[in-house]
Amino acid sequence: MKQFLHDRLPLDEVMTHLRKPLPKHINLLFSLGSLALFLLLLQAATGAFLALSYSPSPDHAHNAVKYITEEVPFGSFVRGLHHWGASAMVVIVFLHLLRVVLYGSYKAPRELTWVVGVLLLLVVLGFGFTGYLLPWDEKAYWATVVGVEIASTAPGLGDVVAKVLRGGSEIGAVTLSRFYALHTIWLPWIAFSLVGIHLFLVRFYGSSGKPKNTPDEMKSGKPFYPDQVFEDLLGMLIIFIILASVAIFVPVPLEDVADPTNAEYDPRPEWYFLFLFQLLKYFQGPFEILGTFIIPTVGMLLLLFLPFLDRSEREVLWKRPIALTVTSVCVVAIVGLTILGASAPKLETVEAEVQPTDDTQQITPLDTGIEETEEGEDVFDFELTDEEIEEAK
Amino acid sequence: MKENRRSFLQIASAIIGGVMGLAAGIPLIGFAISPAWQKGESKWVNIGLVDRLKNSRYKKVNYTFTAKDGWVKATKKRSVYVTDIGNGEWSVFTRICSHLGCLVRWDEGQESFLCPCHGAVFDKNGAVVAGPPPEPLQKLEVKVESGILYVKEI
Repeated sequence: MKQFLHDRLPLDEVMTHLRKPLPKHINLLFSLGSLALFLLLLQAATGAFLALSYSPSPDHAHNAVKYITEEVPFGSFVRGLHHWGASAMVVIVFLHLLRVVLYGSYKAPRELTWVVGVLLLLVVLGFGFTGYLLPWDEKAYWATVVGVEIASTAPGLGDVVAKVLRGGSEIGAVTLSRFYALHTIWLPWIAFSLVGIHLFLVRFYGSSGKPKNTPDEMKSGKPFYPDQVFEDLLGMLIIFIILASVAIFVPVPLEDVADPTNAEYDPRPEWYFLFLFQLLKYFQGPFEILGTFIIPTVGMLLLLFLPFLDRSEREVLWKRPIALTVTSVCVVAIVGLTILGASAPKLETVEAEVQPTDDTQQITPLDTGIEETEEGEDVFDFELTDEEIEEAK
Repeated sequence: MKENRRSFLQIASAIIGGVMGLAAGIPLIGFAISPAWQKGESKWVNIGLVDRLKNSRYKKVNYTFTAKDGWVKATKKRSVYVTDIGNGEWSVFTRICSHLGCLVRWDEGQESFLCPCHGAVFDKNGAVVAGPPPEPLQKLEVKVESGILYVKEI
Protein backbone atom coordinates (compact mmCIF):
# COMPACT_ATOMS: atom_id res chain seq x y z
CA MET A 1 0.00 0.00 0.00
CA LYS A 2 2.78 2.37 1.01
CA GLN A 3 4.61 1.57 -2.21
CA PHE A 4 1.39 2.05 -4.19
CA LEU A 5 0.96 5.56 -2.80
CA HIS A 6 4.68 6.28 -3.12
CA ASP A 7 4.52 5.48 -6.83
CA ARG A 8 1.47 7.61 -7.41
CA LEU A 9 1.90 10.65 -5.16
CA PRO A 10 4.93 12.95 -5.43
CA LEU A 11 5.29 13.06 -1.64
CA ASP A 12 9.10 12.93 -1.68
CA GLU A 13 9.24 16.04 -3.81
CA VAL A 14 6.74 17.79 -1.57
CA MET A 15 8.79 16.87 1.50
CA THR A 16 12.02 18.05 -0.13
CA HIS A 17 10.34 21.34 -0.88
CA LEU A 18 8.96 21.66 2.64
CA ARG A 19 12.37 20.92 4.17
CA LYS A 20 14.02 23.81 2.33
CA PRO A 21 15.80 26.06 4.81
CA LEU A 22 14.42 29.43 5.78
CA PRO A 23 16.57 32.54 6.23
CA LYS A 24 18.50 32.85 9.50
CA HIS A 25 17.33 35.01 12.41
CA ILE A 26 13.64 34.48 11.75
CA ASN A 27 11.67 35.37 14.85
CA LEU A 28 8.16 34.75 16.15
CA LEU A 29 6.75 37.63 14.09
CA PHE A 30 7.27 35.48 11.01
CA SER A 31 4.58 33.11 12.29
CA LEU A 32 1.83 35.73 11.98
CA GLY A 33 1.02 34.78 8.37
CA SER A 34 0.56 31.14 9.35
CA LEU A 35 -1.62 32.21 12.25
CA ALA A 36 -3.79 34.29 9.91
CA LEU A 37 -4.18 31.26 7.64
CA PHE A 38 -5.07 29.10 10.64
CA LEU A 39 -7.76 31.56 11.68
CA LEU A 40 -9.15 31.70 8.15
CA LEU A 41 -9.45 27.90 8.17
CA LEU A 42 -11.01 27.97 11.63
CA GLN A 43 -13.57 30.54 10.41
CA ALA A 44 -14.30 28.41 7.34
CA ALA A 45 -14.77 25.29 9.49
CA THR A 46 -16.94 26.89 12.18
CA GLY A 47 -18.89 28.82 9.54
CA ALA A 48 -19.61 25.64 7.59
CA PHE A 49 -21.08 24.06 10.72
CA LEU A 50 -23.06 27.14 11.73
CA ALA A 51 -24.60 27.16 8.24
CA LEU A 52 -26.16 23.76 9.00
CA SER A 53 -28.64 25.42 11.34
CA TYR A 54 -28.96 28.90 9.87
CA SER A 55 -31.63 30.37 7.63
CA PRO A 56 -30.94 33.65 5.80
CA SER A 57 -34.37 35.23 5.93
CA PRO A 58 -35.61 38.09 8.12
CA ASP A 59 -38.36 35.83 9.48
CA HIS A 60 -35.99 33.12 10.61
CA ALA A 61 -32.41 34.41 10.91
CA HIS A 62 -32.66 35.77 14.45
CA ASN A 63 -34.47 32.69 15.73
CA ALA A 64 -31.99 30.43 13.97
CA VAL A 65 -29.06 32.14 15.68
CA LYS A 66 -30.90 31.97 19.00
CA TYR A 67 -31.55 28.28 18.37
CA ILE A 68 -27.89 27.67 17.57
CA THR A 69 -26.83 29.51 20.71
CA GLU A 70 -29.36 28.07 23.13
CA GLU A 71 -30.43 24.67 21.88
CA VAL A 72 -27.96 23.08 19.51
CA PRO A 73 -25.37 21.06 21.49
CA PHE A 74 -22.05 22.96 21.41
CA GLY A 75 -23.84 25.65 19.36
CA SER A 76 -22.84 28.43 21.72
CA PHE A 77 -19.21 27.24 21.61
CA VAL A 78 -19.09 26.98 17.81
CA ARG A 79 -20.72 30.40 17.41
CA GLY A 80 -18.32 31.79 20.02
CA LEU A 81 -15.31 30.45 18.12
CA HIS A 82 -16.64 31.98 14.90
CA HIS A 83 -17.53 35.33 16.46
CA TRP A 84 -14.36 35.85 18.49
CA GLY A 85 -12.31 34.21 15.76
CA ALA A 86 -13.34 37.04 13.44
CA SER A 87 -11.94 39.60 15.87
CA ALA A 88 -8.76 37.57 16.33
CA MET A 89 -8.40 37.38 12.58
CA VAL A 90 -8.54 41.16 12.19
CA VAL A 91 -5.91 41.58 14.94
CA ILE A 92 -3.55 38.96 13.52
CA VAL A 93 -3.89 40.19 9.93
CA PHE A 94 -3.16 43.75 11.10
CA LEU A 95 -0.09 42.58 13.06
CA HIS A 96 1.06 40.54 10.06
CA LEU A 97 0.82 43.66 7.92
CA LEU A 98 2.81 45.63 10.50
CA ARG A 99 5.51 42.94 10.54
CA VAL A 100 5.86 43.20 6.77
CA VAL A 101 6.13 46.99 7.06
CA LEU A 102 8.59 46.67 9.95
CA TYR A 103 11.11 44.66 7.92
CA GLY A 104 10.27 46.25 4.56
CA SER A 105 9.38 42.79 3.25
CA TYR A 106 7.13 44.28 0.57
CA LYS A 107 10.10 45.50 -1.42
CA ALA A 108 11.24 43.88 -4.68
CA PRO A 109 10.66 41.17 -5.72
CA ARG A 110 7.74 40.75 -3.30
CA GLU A 111 5.54 43.67 -4.38
CA LEU A 112 2.77 41.43 -5.69
CA THR A 113 2.82 39.32 -2.52
CA TRP A 114 2.05 42.56 -0.67
CA VAL A 115 -0.67 43.63 -3.11
CA VAL A 116 -2.41 40.26 -2.76
CA GLY A 117 -2.01 40.53 1.01
CA VAL A 118 -3.74 43.94 1.07
CA LEU A 119 -6.56 42.51 -1.05
CA LEU A 120 -6.85 39.75 1.54
CA LEU A 121 -7.13 42.39 4.26
CA LEU A 122 -10.06 43.90 2.34
CA VAL A 123 -11.63 40.45 2.03
CA VAL A 124 -11.27 39.92 5.79
CA LEU A 125 -13.04 43.25 6.44
CA GLY A 126 -15.66 42.20 3.87
CA PHE A 127 -16.20 38.97 5.82
CA GLY A 128 -16.73 41.07 8.95
CA PHE A 129 -19.17 43.46 7.26
CA THR A 130 -21.26 40.77 5.58
CA GLY A 131 -21.10 38.47 8.60
CA TYR A 132 -22.58 40.64 11.21
CA LEU A 133 -25.83 41.26 9.36
CA LEU A 134 -26.56 37.54 9.56
CA PRO A 135 -27.89 37.38 13.18
CA TRP A 136 -30.48 40.00 12.09
CA ASP A 137 -30.42 41.73 15.45
CA GLU A 138 -30.38 45.48 16.13
CA LYS A 139 -26.62 45.79 15.82
CA ALA A 140 -26.67 43.79 12.59
CA TYR A 141 -29.39 45.92 11.04
CA TRP A 142 -28.15 49.37 12.01
CA ALA A 143 -24.48 48.70 11.32
CA THR A 144 -25.50 47.54 7.85
CA VAL A 145 -27.75 50.56 7.31
CA VAL A 146 -24.82 52.85 8.08
CA GLY A 147 -22.29 50.74 6.16
CA VAL A 148 -24.37 50.67 2.99
CA GLU A 149 -25.13 54.39 3.30
CA ILE A 150 -21.38 55.03 3.47
CA ALA A 151 -21.01 53.16 0.17
CA SER A 152 -23.81 55.26 -1.31
CA THR A 153 -21.83 58.47 -0.78
CA ALA A 154 -19.22 57.43 -3.35
CA PRO A 155 -19.38 59.88 -6.25
CA GLY A 156 -21.05 58.66 -9.41
CA LEU A 157 -21.67 55.01 -8.70
CA GLY A 158 -22.48 55.29 -4.99
CA ASP A 159 -26.22 54.80 -5.35
CA VAL A 160 -25.74 51.91 -7.72
CA VAL A 161 -23.32 50.18 -5.34
CA ALA A 162 -25.69 50.69 -2.42
CA LYS A 163 -28.66 49.31 -4.37
CA VAL A 164 -26.66 46.33 -5.56
CA LEU A 165 -25.49 45.60 -2.02
CA ARG A 166 -28.99 45.88 -0.61
CA GLY A 167 -30.64 44.20 -3.57
CA GLY A 168 -33.05 47.13 -3.70
CA SER A 169 -33.76 50.44 -2.08
CA GLU A 170 -33.74 49.23 1.50
CA ILE A 171 -32.45 46.50 3.73
CA GLY A 172 -34.67 43.45 3.78
CA ALA A 173 -35.00 39.84 2.69
CA VAL A 174 -32.98 40.31 -0.50
CA THR A 175 -30.17 42.06 1.40
CA LEU A 176 -29.88 39.25 3.93
CA SER A 177 -29.85 36.66 1.17
CA ARG A 178 -27.15 38.59 -0.71
CA PHE A 179 -24.98 39.11 2.34
CA TYR A 180 -25.26 35.42 3.20
CA ALA A 181 -24.21 34.43 -0.31
CA LEU A 182 -21.32 36.91 -0.24
CA HIS A 183 -20.23 35.72 3.21
CA THR A 184 -20.41 31.99 2.58
CA ILE A 185 -19.71 31.57 -1.13
CA TRP A 186 -18.25 34.60 -2.90
CA LEU A 187 -15.81 35.83 -0.27
CA PRO A 188 -14.50 32.35 0.65
CA TRP A 189 -13.82 31.64 -3.04
CA ILE A 190 -12.04 34.96 -3.41
CA ALA A 191 -10.19 34.52 -0.12
CA PHE A 192 -8.89 31.04 -0.86
CA SER A 193 -7.90 32.01 -4.39
CA LEU A 194 -5.94 34.97 -3.07
CA VAL A 195 -4.44 32.86 -0.28
CA GLY A 196 -3.34 30.38 -2.94
CA ILE A 197 -1.59 33.11 -4.93
CA HIS A 198 -0.14 34.65 -1.75
CA LEU A 199 1.28 31.33 -0.57
CA PHE A 200 2.62 30.47 -4.00
CA LEU A 201 4.46 33.79 -4.13
CA VAL A 202 5.74 33.38 -0.56
CA ARG A 203 7.09 29.90 -1.36
CA PHE A 204 8.40 30.92 -4.78
CA TYR A 205 10.41 33.91 -3.54
CA GLY A 206 11.01 32.38 -0.12
CA SER A 207 10.64 34.14 3.20
CA SER A 208 11.93 37.70 3.04
CA GLY A 209 13.92 37.27 6.24
CA LYS A 210 15.49 40.25 7.98
CA PRO A 211 16.58 43.24 5.86
CA LYS A 212 20.31 42.78 6.31
CA ASN A 213 20.51 39.00 5.87
CA THR A 214 23.44 38.07 3.63
CA PRO A 215 22.74 35.81 0.63
CA ASP A 216 24.28 32.94 2.62
CA GLU A 217 22.12 33.62 5.63
CA MET A 218 19.04 33.66 3.38
CA LYS A 219 19.33 29.92 2.80
CA SER A 220 21.01 28.54 5.86
CA GLY A 221 18.39 28.85 8.59
CA LYS A 222 16.19 26.16 10.06
CA PRO A 223 14.03 24.10 7.68
CA PHE A 224 10.41 25.12 7.23
CA TYR A 225 9.38 21.56 8.12
CA PRO A 226 9.42 20.46 10.88
CA ASP A 227 11.07 23.36 12.79
CA GLN A 228 9.05 26.36 11.64
CA VAL A 229 5.87 24.32 11.25
CA PHE A 230 6.17 23.23 14.89
CA GLU A 231 6.63 26.83 16.07
CA ASP A 232 3.64 27.91 13.97
CA LEU A 233 1.59 25.07 15.45
CA LEU A 234 2.46 26.19 18.98
CA GLY A 235 1.22 29.67 18.07
CA MET A 236 -1.99 28.17 16.66
CA LEU A 237 -2.45 26.13 19.83
CA ILE A 238 -2.09 29.24 22.01
CA ILE A 239 -4.58 31.16 19.90
CA PHE A 240 -6.99 28.26 19.89
CA ILE A 241 -6.81 27.92 23.69
CA ILE A 242 -7.48 31.64 24.09
CA LEU A 243 -10.36 31.58 21.59
CA ALA A 244 -11.89 28.44 23.10
CA SER A 245 -11.71 29.96 26.59
CA VAL A 246 -13.34 33.18 25.42
CA ALA A 247 -15.97 31.18 23.52
CA ILE A 248 -16.80 29.26 26.69
CA PHE A 249 -16.71 32.10 29.20
CA VAL A 250 -17.82 35.15 27.21
CA PRO A 251 -21.25 34.68 25.64
CA VAL A 252 -21.61 36.10 22.15
CA PRO A 253 -24.15 38.91 22.29
CA LEU A 254 -27.44 38.54 20.44
CA GLU A 255 -29.53 41.67 20.67
CA ASP A 256 -33.25 42.01 20.03
CA VAL A 257 -34.48 41.24 16.57
CA ALA A 258 -33.86 44.05 14.04
CA ASP A 259 -36.43 46.82 14.27
CA PRO A 260 -36.25 49.63 11.71
CA THR A 261 -38.35 51.88 13.98
CA ASN A 262 -36.33 51.49 17.16
CA ALA A 263 -34.82 54.93 17.61
CA GLU A 264 -33.85 54.15 21.19
CA TYR A 265 -31.02 52.03 19.87
CA ASP A 266 -27.60 53.66 19.60
CA PRO A 267 -25.99 52.01 16.59
CA ARG A 268 -22.34 51.06 16.96
CA PRO A 269 -20.33 48.91 14.54
CA GLU A 270 -17.98 46.07 15.52
CA TRP A 271 -14.82 47.34 17.18
CA TYR A 272 -12.74 46.95 14.03
CA PHE A 273 -14.89 49.49 12.17
CA LEU A 274 -15.07 51.94 15.10
CA PHE A 275 -12.22 54.06 13.75
CA LEU A 276 -14.22 54.72 10.59
CA PHE A 277 -17.37 55.33 12.62
CA GLN A 278 -15.49 57.94 14.67
CA LEU A 279 -13.79 59.48 11.64
CA LEU A 280 -17.18 60.27 10.08
CA LYS A 281 -18.00 62.66 12.92
CA TYR A 282 -15.27 65.10 11.96
CA PHE A 283 -16.36 65.91 8.42
CA GLN A 284 -19.41 68.07 8.19
CA GLY A 285 -21.72 69.24 5.46
CA PRO A 286 -20.04 69.28 2.05
CA PHE A 287 -16.92 67.70 3.57
CA GLU A 288 -18.85 64.56 4.52
CA ILE A 289 -17.47 62.76 1.51
CA LEU A 290 -13.94 63.19 2.87
CA GLY A 291 -14.74 60.88 5.77
CA THR A 292 -17.01 58.46 3.98
CA PHE A 293 -15.15 58.03 0.73
CA ILE A 294 -12.01 60.02 0.00
CA ILE A 295 -9.90 59.26 3.09
CA PRO A 296 -10.74 55.52 3.24
CA THR A 297 -10.28 55.08 -0.51
CA VAL A 298 -7.07 57.07 -0.80
CA GLY A 299 -5.73 55.36 2.34
CA MET A 300 -6.48 51.94 0.91
CA LEU A 301 -4.96 52.80 -2.48
CA LEU A 302 -1.78 54.11 -0.82
CA LEU A 303 -1.58 50.91 1.21
CA LEU A 304 -2.15 48.79 -1.89
CA PHE A 305 0.58 50.52 -3.88
CA LEU A 306 2.98 51.04 -0.97
CA PRO A 307 5.79 48.94 -2.52
CA PHE A 308 5.74 51.15 -5.62
CA LEU A 309 5.71 54.37 -3.58
CA ASP A 310 8.38 53.48 -1.04
CA ARG A 311 11.48 53.07 -3.20
CA SER A 312 13.97 53.41 -0.35
CA GLU A 313 16.52 50.70 0.32
CA ARG A 314 15.33 47.77 2.36
CA GLU A 315 16.00 48.49 6.04
CA VAL A 316 14.25 47.88 9.30
CA LEU A 317 11.46 50.43 9.91
CA TRP A 318 13.31 52.66 12.40
CA LYS A 319 15.99 53.29 9.82
CA ARG A 320 13.39 54.53 7.30
CA PRO A 321 12.27 57.84 8.82
CA ILE A 322 9.46 58.61 6.37
CA ALA A 323 7.98 55.10 6.52
CA LEU A 324 8.35 55.15 10.32
CA THR A 325 6.51 58.48 10.58
CA VAL A 326 3.69 57.47 8.23
CA THR A 327 3.25 54.08 9.91
CA SER A 328 3.25 55.60 13.39
CA VAL A 329 0.73 58.28 12.43
CA CYS A 330 -1.56 55.67 10.83
CA VAL A 331 -1.35 53.25 13.76
CA VAL A 332 -1.89 56.00 16.35
CA ALA A 333 -4.81 57.41 14.30
CA ILE A 334 -6.51 54.04 13.91
CA VAL A 335 -6.01 53.01 17.53
CA GLY A 336 -6.91 56.49 18.80
CA LEU A 337 -10.08 56.75 16.72
CA THR A 338 -11.07 53.23 17.81
CA ILE A 339 -10.69 54.19 21.48
CA LEU A 340 -12.61 57.45 20.95
CA GLY A 341 -15.35 55.60 19.08
CA ALA A 342 -15.61 52.97 21.81
CA SER A 343 -15.82 55.55 24.58
CA ALA A 344 -18.24 57.89 22.79
CA PRO A 345 -21.17 58.49 25.13
CA LYS A 346 -24.58 57.17 24.19
CA LEU A 347 -27.16 59.72 23.24
CA GLU A 348 -29.63 60.62 25.95
CA THR A 349 -32.64 62.56 24.81
CA VAL A 350 -35.65 63.93 26.56
CA GLU A 351 -38.71 63.37 24.47
CA ALA A 352 -41.83 65.47 24.87
CA GLU A 353 -42.49 66.50 28.47
CA VAL A 354 -46.19 66.04 28.14
CA GLN A 355 -46.70 62.81 26.40
CA PRO A 356 -50.07 61.24 25.94
CA THR A 357 -50.19 57.69 27.17
CA ASP A 358 -50.25 56.46 23.61
CA ASP A 359 -47.20 58.57 22.84
CA THR A 360 -46.02 56.22 20.22
CA GLN A 361 -48.83 55.13 18.05
CA GLN A 362 -47.76 51.57 17.69
CA ILE A 363 -49.53 50.25 14.74
CA THR A 364 -50.04 46.68 13.78
CA PRO A 365 -51.33 45.46 10.46
CA LEU A 366 -55.07 45.24 10.66
CA ASP A 367 -57.42 44.78 7.81
CA THR A 368 -59.90 47.53 8.33
CA GLY A 369 -61.21 47.61 4.83
CA ILE A 370 -59.98 51.16 4.39
CA GLU A 371 -57.71 51.94 1.50
CA GLU A 372 -56.84 48.33 0.96
CA THR A 373 -55.79 47.86 -2.62
CA GLU A 374 -56.37 44.77 -4.66
CA GLU A 375 -52.95 43.43 -3.71
CA GLY A 376 -53.48 44.57 -0.15
CA GLU A 377 -50.53 46.90 -0.51
CA ASP A 378 -51.63 49.58 1.89
CA VAL A 379 -53.15 48.20 4.98
CA PHE A 380 -54.72 50.74 7.24
CA ASP A 381 -53.07 49.50 10.33
CA PHE A 382 -54.22 51.85 12.98
CA GLU A 383 -55.90 50.03 15.81
CA LEU A 384 -59.35 51.39 15.19
CA THR A 385 -62.71 50.35 16.45
CA ASP A 386 -65.40 49.54 13.93
CA GLU A 387 -67.22 52.75 14.86
CA GLU A 388 -64.13 54.83 14.14
CA ILE A 389 -63.71 53.18 10.79
CA GLU A 390 -67.29 53.91 9.86
CA GLU A 391 -66.85 57.47 11.04
CA ALA A 392 -63.70 57.89 8.99
CA LYS A 393 -65.47 56.70 5.89
CA MET B 1 4.03 26.78 -41.00
CA LYS B 2 3.88 25.19 -37.54
CA GLU B 3 4.37 28.60 -35.91
CA ASN B 4 1.54 30.05 -37.96
CA ARG B 5 -0.68 27.18 -36.92
CA ARG B 6 0.18 27.71 -33.25
CA SER B 7 -0.42 31.42 -33.45
CA PHE B 8 -3.76 30.70 -35.01
CA LEU B 9 -4.60 28.20 -32.22
CA GLN B 10 -3.63 30.73 -29.56
CA ILE B 11 -5.77 33.46 -31.08
CA ALA B 12 -8.67 31.06 -31.70
CA SER B 13 -8.50 29.84 -28.08
CA ALA B 14 -8.54 33.41 -26.83
CA ILE B 15 -11.54 34.22 -29.03
CA ILE B 16 -13.47 31.10 -27.97
CA GLY B 17 -12.69 31.84 -24.31
CA GLY B 18 -13.64 35.49 -24.74
CA VAL B 19 -16.93 34.72 -26.45
CA MET B 20 -17.90 32.16 -23.80
CA GLY B 21 -16.83 34.55 -21.06
CA LEU B 22 -18.99 37.34 -22.46
CA ALA B 23 -21.93 35.03 -23.21
CA ALA B 24 -21.96 33.84 -19.62
CA GLY B 25 -20.55 36.96 -17.96
CA ILE B 26 -22.99 39.57 -19.23
CA PRO B 27 -26.15 37.78 -18.02
CA LEU B 28 -24.45 36.83 -14.74
CA ILE B 29 -23.38 40.39 -14.02
CA GLY B 30 -26.79 41.66 -15.13
CA PHE B 31 -28.39 39.19 -12.72
CA ALA B 32 -26.24 40.40 -9.84
CA ILE B 33 -26.54 44.13 -10.39
CA SER B 34 -30.16 44.24 -11.58
CA PRO B 35 -31.35 45.97 -8.36
CA ALA B 36 -29.40 49.02 -9.54
CA TRP B 37 -32.00 49.90 -12.13
CA GLN B 38 -35.07 48.83 -10.18
CA LYS B 39 -37.19 51.87 -9.49
CA GLY B 40 -39.04 52.15 -6.21
CA GLU B 41 -42.68 53.08 -6.47
CA SER B 42 -43.90 55.98 -4.44
CA LYS B 43 -47.28 55.58 -2.83
CA TRP B 44 -49.50 57.12 -0.21
CA VAL B 45 -49.56 55.32 3.12
CA ASN B 46 -52.04 56.11 5.83
CA ILE B 47 -50.44 56.83 9.18
CA GLY B 48 -53.34 57.77 11.40
CA LEU B 49 -56.65 59.43 12.03
CA VAL B 50 -56.47 63.18 11.94
CA ASP B 51 -58.67 63.32 15.04
CA ARG B 52 -56.18 61.32 17.02
CA LEU B 53 -53.24 63.35 15.81
CA LYS B 54 -54.84 66.74 16.36
CA ASN B 55 -52.62 69.18 18.28
CA SER B 56 -49.68 66.81 18.02
CA ARG B 57 -46.28 68.38 18.36
CA TYR B 58 -43.41 66.27 17.11
CA LYS B 59 -45.40 63.22 18.01
CA LYS B 60 -43.66 59.95 17.33
CA VAL B 61 -45.77 57.76 15.09
CA ASN B 62 -44.81 54.27 14.04
CA TYR B 63 -46.70 52.75 11.16
CA THR B 64 -46.48 49.79 8.89
CA PHE B 65 -47.38 49.04 5.33
CA THR B 66 -46.83 46.15 3.02
CA ALA B 67 -44.45 46.31 0.10
CA LYS B 68 -42.68 43.88 -2.16
CA ASP B 69 -39.19 42.94 -1.01
CA GLY B 70 -37.80 40.57 -3.63
CA TRP B 71 -39.98 37.48 -3.41
CA VAL B 72 -41.52 38.52 -0.10
CA LYS B 73 -44.55 40.70 0.51
CA ALA B 74 -43.02 42.26 3.56
CA THR B 75 -44.45 44.39 6.30
CA LYS B 76 -42.30 47.51 6.35
CA LYS B 77 -42.01 49.53 9.53
CA ARG B 78 -41.50 53.27 9.59
CA SER B 79 -41.29 55.95 12.21
CA VAL B 80 -42.03 59.68 11.77
CA TYR B 81 -42.59 62.83 13.83
CA VAL B 82 -45.96 64.45 13.21
CA THR B 83 -46.86 68.05 13.99
CA ASP B 84 -50.28 69.63 13.58
CA ILE B 85 -49.50 73.11 12.29
CA GLY B 86 -53.15 74.15 12.28
CA ASN B 87 -55.53 75.17 9.51
CA GLY B 88 -55.39 71.64 8.16
CA GLU B 89 -51.61 71.83 7.64
CA TRP B 90 -49.33 69.07 8.82
CA SER B 91 -45.63 68.62 9.10
CA VAL B 92 -44.25 65.09 9.03
CA PHE B 93 -40.53 64.54 9.41
CA THR B 94 -38.90 61.25 8.62
CA ARG B 95 -36.70 59.96 11.43
CA ILE B 96 -34.07 58.77 8.99
CA CYS B 97 -30.99 60.94 9.40
CA SER B 98 -29.88 62.46 6.11
CA HIS B 99 -26.29 61.56 6.98
CA LEU B 100 -26.10 57.77 7.10
CA GLY B 101 -29.59 56.54 7.87
CA CYS B 102 -29.71 56.20 11.66
CA LEU B 103 -32.97 57.20 13.39
CA VAL B 104 -33.04 60.68 14.91
CA ARG B 105 -34.80 61.49 18.18
CA TRP B 106 -36.74 64.61 19.04
CA ASP B 107 -35.39 66.28 22.14
CA GLU B 108 -38.03 68.43 23.76
CA GLY B 109 -35.56 70.44 25.89
CA GLN B 110 -33.35 71.39 22.98
CA GLU B 111 -36.23 71.57 20.48
CA SER B 112 -34.00 69.64 18.12
CA PHE B 113 -33.68 66.33 16.38
CA LEU B 114 -30.56 64.47 17.55
CA CYS B 115 -28.88 61.59 15.81
CA PRO B 116 -27.28 58.94 18.03
CA CYS B 117 -24.70 57.86 15.43
CA HIS B 118 -22.44 60.71 14.42
CA GLY B 119 -23.78 63.58 16.48
CA ALA B 120 -26.00 65.30 13.92
CA VAL B 121 -28.38 67.97 15.23
CA PHE B 122 -31.33 69.33 13.23
CA ASP B 123 -33.50 72.22 14.38
CA LYS B 124 -37.26 71.99 14.63
CA ASN B 125 -37.57 72.82 10.94
CA GLY B 126 -35.20 70.03 10.00
CA ALA B 127 -32.26 72.32 9.12
CA VAL B 128 -28.80 71.07 10.02
CA VAL B 129 -27.48 72.81 13.13
CA ALA B 130 -24.44 70.64 13.84
CA GLY B 131 -22.75 67.45 12.77
CA PRO B 132 -21.98 65.86 9.44
CA PRO B 133 -25.28 65.74 7.46
CA PRO B 134 -24.99 67.53 4.13
CA GLU B 135 -28.76 67.89 3.82
CA PRO B 136 -31.68 68.80 6.07
CA LEU B 137 -33.94 66.23 7.65
CA GLN B 138 -36.46 65.15 5.05
CA LYS B 139 -40.03 66.36 5.34
CA LEU B 140 -42.51 63.90 3.91
CA GLU B 141 -45.25 64.90 1.54
CA VAL B 142 -48.61 64.66 3.29
CA LYS B 143 -52.29 64.75 2.45
CA VAL B 144 -55.52 64.35 4.35
CA GLU B 145 -58.39 62.37 2.97
CA SER B 146 -61.54 61.26 4.74
CA GLY B 147 -60.07 62.30 8.06
CA ILE B 148 -56.98 60.17 7.59
CA LEU B 149 -53.45 61.49 7.35
CA TYR B 150 -51.33 60.03 4.56
CA VAL B 151 -47.60 60.32 3.86
CA LYS B 152 -45.90 59.63 0.59
CA GLU B 153 -43.55 56.68 0.83
CA ILE B 154 -40.77 56.79 -1.74
